[in-house]
Amino acid sequence: MDHDRLMKDLREICRAPEPERKEIFFQGLAERGVTSGRPTSISHGEFILRQFLYIGKWVWLSSAVLLLFITWICYGNNGNYPFALTPLLAAGILVETERSFRWKMAELEYTARFSLRSVMLARMFLVGAVETAGLLVVIWAVQPRFSYSFGRVFLYMMVPYLSASLFGSVYERKHRTDNGWGSIVICLLSSAFFAAAPYCMSSLYEEQFAVVWLAVFVLLIISLGSSVRRWFLEMEEPAWSL
Amino acid sequence: MELIADRITKQYKNKIAVDRMSFTLAKGVTGLLGANGAGKTTLMRLLCGILVPDSGTISCDGMSVGTEEYRDILGYLPQNFGYYPEFSGKDFLLYMSAVKGITGKDAARKTKELIELVGLAEVAGKKVRTYSGGMRQRLGIAQALLNDPQILIMDEPTAGLDPQERIRFRELIADIGEKKIVLLSTHIVSDLEHIADRLMIMKDGQLIWQGSRSAGGEDLEAFYISKIGEKR
Repeated sequence: MDHDRLMKDLREICRAPEPERKEIFFQGLAERGVTSGRPTSISHGEFILRQFLYIGKWVWLSSAVLLLFITWICYGNNGNYPFALTPLLAAGILVETERSFRWKMAELEYTARFSLRSVMLARMFLVGAVETAGLLVVIWAVQPRFSYSFGRVFLYMMVPYLSASLFGSVYERKHRTDNGWGSIVICLLSSAFFAAAPYCMSSLYEEQFAVVWLAVFVLLIISLGSSVRRWFLEMEEPAWSL
Repeated sequence: MELIADRITKQYKNKIAVDRMSFTLAKGVTGLLGANGAGKTTLMRLLCGILVPDSGTISCDGMSVGTEEYRDILGYLPQNFGYYPEFSGKDFLLYMSAVKGITGKDAARKTKELIELVGLAEVAGKKVRTYSGGMRQRLGIAQALLNDPQILIMDEPTAGLDPQERIRFRELIADIGEKKIVLLSTHIVSDLEHIADRLMIMKDGQLIWQGSRSAGGEDLEAFYISKIGEKR
């Protein structure tokens, strides 16, 4: 095959399709563009709700399976062990925060109107809210199986969950990885800690310590809020390794 | 509308990636030339608000680059970008519309228009992972145009495009550049020969030359090489 023929064939193979309706597109830009006033923008609330569609399905699936498993364990009269399972729920939120980096969408999201911070916050809020609501339903369902009040079961479930969330968020802020394995290990370690804790301190779940659990709960909420805030203030750093 | 950078500097550890650069971008296409590692991508990330300058300011008609208001009129095509694995080309544009804050009805309309414009109508429903490099790049160009940006910043936009696609891309950018601020970086001089109104040349983090395209003369490649070779 001579060179000209080869070039002709290559051109034919590599030919990109002609843009369609190009003139109409540019006419549309002139009519509806920013200069003539942008007609449509969604609110922050709508933005958060729309993010529901883009959270990984495995997050919802694993959370649902885990919540059902916790309920089943509670019904099996397994003492205080069910409380040690809630840190595993936090893995879903923590790994979800890595999704933009894992799939190299972060740079595009950084520069969009709602920015990467909003995307991550929205997803954390949605997954956290759904998981907390799920836990409340589980607590309501299993509380009669325990000799503790509703409030105490709530604290015993939420403190391990928030602990894993806090330590995971600190880890992700300092050692961000694209696969989220660090967060998963932290959740597993938190779970192991709360499973072993009653052996070291047998009175841990006694009523006299309820006030300590409450104080730790409040402290964890404040620390988690502060950690997430710092995380988002320091988000420029990961941009260097995008 | 003008995008003004005033003595911006960005240092990372012991490397000065952008060194006291000042310039003003107005309507039209500005080409940013420089070798790999010259600081083009860092400069573009600064102009997009992804990175914050260590000193100096960047503003557009009084808007700071870190604001939602600024991002609302910004279109950006990064050098490398990915996609969520479950996305088709259409899903990708609808997702970017959501993050850009465009309502569902307008997002569907803009997505359809842009998919046709970049010649992806036949494969819009297919997964992005099945696209060729050139098709992904065209998808990237489409997402940058979703919000009718007044400022369009494109980092190596012609990378991965075949010769025919490059020509069509140049025509598209030339059309867009008539009414918007367009900054595109490249290390391929021929990409800019026919469409750039202005040129900026970077070397080792510094802006070593800026001026109109016509000042570069007929042989832009020779002009660029002579500027890069000059000692400061």
